[in-house]
Amino acid sequence: MRPLDEKETTQVFEKLFKFTGNNLKNIVESPSHEGPDSNPGRYCFRLNKNRVYYVSESLVKRATNIKRDNLVSLGTLIGKFTKNGSFHLTIQCLNLLAANAKHKVWLKPTSEMSVLYGNNVLKGGLGRITENINMGDGVVVFSMSDVPLAFGVAARSTQDCRKMEPNAIVVIIQADIGAYLRMEDEL
Amino acid sequence: MGEVEEQQQQHQIDLGNLFAFNPHHNFPSVPPSREELVKECLEQGTKLVQAVADALFSLPSVEDRDGPLVKLPAPTIRLPREKPLPKPRPPTKWEVFAKKKGIQNHKKDKLVFDEQTGTWKRRHGYDRVNDDKDIPIIEAKMTDEPGVDPFAKRRSEKKQRVEKQERHRFQNLKEAAKVGALPSHVQLAATAIPITGTQAAPRKVSKEELQNVAGMAASATASGGKFDKKLPGEKPQKHEKKYRKFLPVVEGSGMGSLERQQTDKVLSKLMSKNSHEILNVEKAVNMYNVKREKKRRNQPGKSSSTSSKLKPKNPHNKTSKKGSSFKGKSKKGSSFKGKSK
Repeated sequence: MRPLDEKETTQVFEKLFKFTGNNLKNIVESPSHEGPDSNPGRYCFRLNKNRVYYVSESLVKRATNIKRDNLVSLGTLIGKFTKNGSFHLTIQCLNLLAANAKHKVWLKPTSEMSVLYGNNVLKGGLGRITENINMGDGVVVFSMSDVPLAFGVAARSTQDCRKMEPNAIVVIIQADIGAYLRMEDEL
Repeated sequence: MGEVEEQQQQHQIDLGNLFAFNPHHNFPSVPPSREELVKECLEQGTKLVQAVADALFSLPSVEDRDGPLVKLPAPTIRLPREKPLPKPRPPTKWEVFAKKKGIQNHKKDKLVFDEQTGTWKRRHGYDRVNDDKDIPIIEAKMTDEPGVDPFAKRRSEKKQRVEKQERHRFQNLKEAAKVGALPSHVQLAATAIPITGTQAAPRKVSKEELQNVAGMAASATASGGKFDKKLPGEKPQKHEKKYRKFLPVVEGSGMGSLERQQTDKVLSKLMSKNSHEILNVEKAVNMYNVKREKKRRNQPGKSSSTSSKLKPKNPHNKTSKKGSSFKGKSKKGSSFKGKSK
């Protein structure tokens, strides 16, 4: 377990920034009320075995007792660095993204299942969409009852969405909560 | 002596290989544990070695300073060959040609009488018969071209013949390599000889590799290259991997100030890079348009008033040319009032 160096921090923040925009500040500076300390600490990012965790300071302090090899996980897993050196977000960070999302898409109840099986969001399944999404922006996908389901990348801008045919792809899904069942072993 | 003979009958002994074998031995029952099996095997082994030793001492011996010497008989057991037999070499081009034409090889003497010097000389090699070096004079012919050195010509012709023969040799080796019948001494050098088709061309050393090697060489001194004189154009060493340092995991109280500084730095950099996105021009234009539209709808009379305003404007202007602008304005105001009433 170690803090991210500057390059890695930039990579992680850039990826998060895609989804959260300026709300990234909330993620980085939100106080944590964990542990025995009376004054709230902060959350920080820690790297262990190429995985990046979002952990409260007090937890980090306590986790230092554990050997790196034996430490399976701590805090919230956010993503991992691939062998190639790029950073990928994983499904575990969905709640964090959903709370601070900049661009959102709501799904019709009929198409929820399709997305949970790992398919992309089609125009036909689109319930609502926030304004000003550009192509390539990070988007969090919600059900109509505001339950976060997945996140991905916008394939079209909001303007283009209006003119598209119903089976065109709107959001390319990167991870969905169906993965918890589908890839139970790997997560 | 009778015991030895009995033993020899029991064991098959091959003294040439110093080898003994007991074909009659059977385990009465499989030993239960591994240790017992080992013990049994050792016992039998000792017996066999004893048998070999007995047979050795029964051979006629010669006394020597180091002790009795014995001449071993020829081995009776034929051990199998470790490697397969080498494949026969395919016939060379000349061999094929000679067989076709019925040309037969004749043994030639190694020594030949040299008429030039009047001595016997070797046929090939150093100081041979008809050596070019021994020819002091070449008679000119009518066909000779002027300006051509006949000695140099002879030398180059000889060289070409040798090269041609070398080419033929490689060709024949290539054929042999295809069948897998390269002679062993050539096989080892096969990558150095241009006979294997898949031979990789000698790689050009890249700039990066050279730099790496140069860096390694420069730092391979007692001082780590610190006090060495730099060559002109030599760059200072890079310490990429060695000096990679990470912030402490826990610095005093949890997340230390260093890490906080770093995250804040990265965050502010990222924010400032994307600060132009705070003002979404498209959105602003849209909002402005919508607002204007709304305003227009809220005041339905205004559009008609403007159109009506245009009509009276022209006469006003005409009148205002003569009079003051103030007058026109007041008139305009009065017209509005009239409308609103």
